[in-house]
Amino acid sequence: MTAASGLAASQHNPWRTTLPGLLIVLLVWEGVGRSMGGTYLLAPPSLVLLWLGDNAGLVGRALSATLSNAAVGFVLGNLAALLLAAMALVWPASQRIVTGVALVVFCLPLVATGPILRVMFGPGNGPQIVLAALAVYYTTLIPLLVGMRAAPASWFDLVRSYGRGPLAALGYIRLMASLPYLFAGLQIAAPAAILGAMVGEFTGAERGLGVLTVRAMRSLDVEMTWALASVATFAAVAAYWGIGALTRAVLRDAPPLILAPPRDDTRRGAPLLRAITGLGGVIAAILVLWGGSIALFGLNPFFAKGPWDVAHAVFWASDAAQTRASLGVALMGTVLLLVPGYLAGLAAGAGLAVVFTLLPKLAGTMMPLAIALRSVPIVTTAPLVVLLLGRGATGTIVLVAVMVFFPTLVACLHGLRQAPGQVMDVFNSYAASPLQRLVRVQIPAMLPAFFAAARMAVPAAVLAVTVVEWLATGIGVGTLMALSASVSDYDMLWAAVVLAASLSALGYAGVGLIESRILRIYAPEQLT
Amino acid sequence: MTNRLMMTRRGLLRTGAAGFATAALGLGAGRATAQTTAAALQLSWTHSVQFAGSYIAQDRGFWRDGGLDVSLLQGGPNAPVEPPVVAGTALVGISAADYTAAAVEQGAPFKILGVAMQKNPFVIASLPANPVNTPADLVGKRIGMALANTPVLQALCTLNGVDISTIEIIPTQYSPQPLLTNEVDCLLCWATDLPVAMAIEGIEAVTMLMADHGYALHSQTYIATTDSLANRRAELVALMRGEVAGWNAYRTDTDAATALTLAMFPDAGLDLATQTLQAQRQVPLMFSDLTDANGFGWWTDETVAANIETLALLGRNVPPDLWDRSILEEVHAA
Repeated sequence: MTAASGLAASQHNPWRTTLPGLLIVLLVWEGVGRSMGGTYLLAPPSLVLLWLGDNAGLVGRALSATLSNAAVGFVLGNLAALLLAAMALVWPASQRIVTGVALVVFCLPLVATGPILRVMFGPGNGPQIVLAALAVYYTTLIPLLVGMRAAPASWFDLVRSYGRGPLAALGYIRLMASLPYLFAGLQIAAPAAILGAMVGEFTGAERGLGVLTVRAMRSLDVEMTWALASVATFAAVAAYWGIGALTRAVLRDAPPLILAPPRDDTRRGAPLLRAITGLGGVIAAILVLWGGSIALFGLNPFFAKGPWDVAHAVFWASDAAQTRASLGVALMGTVLLLVPGYLAGLAAGAGLAVVFTLLPKLAGTMMPLAIALRSVPIVTTAPLVVLLLGRGATGTIVLVAVMVFFPTLVACLHGLRQAPGQVMDVFNSYAASPLQRLVRVQIPAMLPAFFAAARMAVPAAVLAVTVVEWLATGIGVGTLMALSASVSDYDMLWAAVVLAASLSALGYAGVGLIESRILRIYAPEQLT
Repeated sequence: MTNRLMMTRRGLLRTGAAGFATAALGLGAGRATAQTTAAALQLSWTHSVQFAGSYIAQDRGFWRDGGLDVSLLQGGPNAPVEPPVVAGTALVGISAADYTAAAVEQGAPFKILGVAMQKNPFVIASLPANPVNTPADLVGKRIGMALANTPVLQALCTLNGVDISTIEIIPTQYSPQPLLTNEVDCLLCWATDLPVAMAIEGIEAVTMLMADHGYALHSQTYIATTDSLANRRAELVALMRGEVAGWNAYRTDTDAATALTLAMFPDAGLDLATQTLQAQRQVPLMFSDLTDANGFGWWTDETVAANIETLALLGRNVPPDLWDRSILEEVHAA
């Protein structure tokens, strides 16, 4: 039995393998919770269950409101991702702009988009659904684009030899090849949709888990706070498992062997030019979309600031120097916590994936805990983690790491399973050790997925750090955005949005540069 | 409860009479109800007894009687009040003098139509063993608060001749937890939330109301745009008339108002004991000799002057005509 199939087998009976881990967590939680009585920080699971029993109807209604919005947003967001990916492949010239614009839209901070969506939609579920969709479409789009290229060149030659074009290649090869990646993306997206819907509820929704969370945090109701965090986590884990079960039912074939020709390096120097024109195209498209949608939706200039307003506030207004100084201080505060958290999360995610592959039994026990840790919606945990770890650097770094760690882990596990069966067979027939298989086959096979996750994790990390700053620590870009909104300084708010989005986009591009260097050696089929 | 039933019956009688009158004029009662105009009131936070007067107005048809169909838009941590009012999604918003002043500085065409909280609800909350009874007691204390509220503390210190550098500001989340675990000696918070939450936990906090020490800042103010004041006067009068009637009814029986709040919003996760106490504690902030003499929501040139002084300490300069009493005068003249 190979390591990968062992992992898959352990996932088939989640209860038998995960029960011990779950019990240990519950016991520790109970013990710590009881010893911390009177500190108003942590409620033990027994009291949480009691509270849930007393308020089953309330929580049930809130959960169904949140889940239905999350589900609609999940479907819409993933459909958008499929359309964007198909467009990028059928019309390759558009790919840079599509992914660039998609990235920037994904990087828009929730603190800023929420109130604007509320004004656009009025009362109802609009903002919750849109924020859920925004939270998922990008984490599906990127793995999808990777997956659509994860096919042997000979298959494309076959399609061409029959005289068929890119549409046939899309239908027969790319869509099929992308399925494992698509499902990996969907799995990550499920908890994100729930988080997006809950943040949407902060903009004045009538009901939902997010509404109750606000109430619980304000009224010192520790049992209610932890009960809501538990319910939201449980829902997110269930969604994750559901999609996992679907994946196993649909995907049966072993991944194909990809032998790509070495990259043609005669065009050296051209990539830089292409990068610059691509960047220019993306920026132009965003400016047009930004200014255009303000005009199209007739948004009021009091709170809807266009590119020109922001440029004016930052460069030419009489208080421009002061504005730039505030932005600079906020940016420093954010970056100092963002970078360590991001790197720690990546290392933990990839490291744990490798450990799980070597020790598949451990994966069965630990994986659900990892899912739970990541699925606890950050809006409920940010204040709790900061209470437990202090509002210094540690709390924020840990939260950022948790946000980054889980998508990296999932992507790397999928990537490790993409090790071609034929190559594994060769190694097995030579009685190679698991470590040799890992280093020579599985880790190289994992690299495309790892880098896709590392890129995707940049916006997730920025999201995490700004949410923590907004809800808990009171420093950095997240706080600057919340404060600017509360005193109607919308020029500053939009400037901070541009800053946060640029931070994500630059980080993403930086990871992309490292990625293309490394994949040139290990997975040239990924480089178009 | 009796009171509430009486009010309802009176309301019924009145609508009945109105129906009779329209019928006599040859108009169908159905048509009379179809003539109501829709308007939205943007609340400043999630549903709770903080807005119970509005719920009473809704429940007893005080707005419907005035030809207005009011929808109440809930607020939240990420739902600023000003944008929907500027955009016209909401006719009236519940703001506060400092936030309104900030928005006006940024070009929002707002006027303050009425003042629900005559006294600003900010308090310094402490524990009886180590109390803060006067601003002078703050010297040498550790105060837990959001850093964003530093100008508020600075204003209190200036008003009372206290050197702010003698106070240690510890940034905390909006929670009583740091006070209870002795990480801070006092908290800057609202009289109607954290002290209430502590009281429900059996801890009676000492509260020093900042309004009693010169911090004059109207809170829970009704704001509308100058455009609405010019073109939607009748609706503004009807909305404010309903608010006044609703809050007057609230004052006569806060327990009934609490019961109504919980009945109208079963999904808001409200706790009966907490809400009952909060409803009682906001009465002295909302009603005063001034409102007894002139009616709910009132202000005078003197209270506005005091507000302008406090706002100047917060770095906001506003003219007295930010307050526009014409709607309220029409409401209370009737």
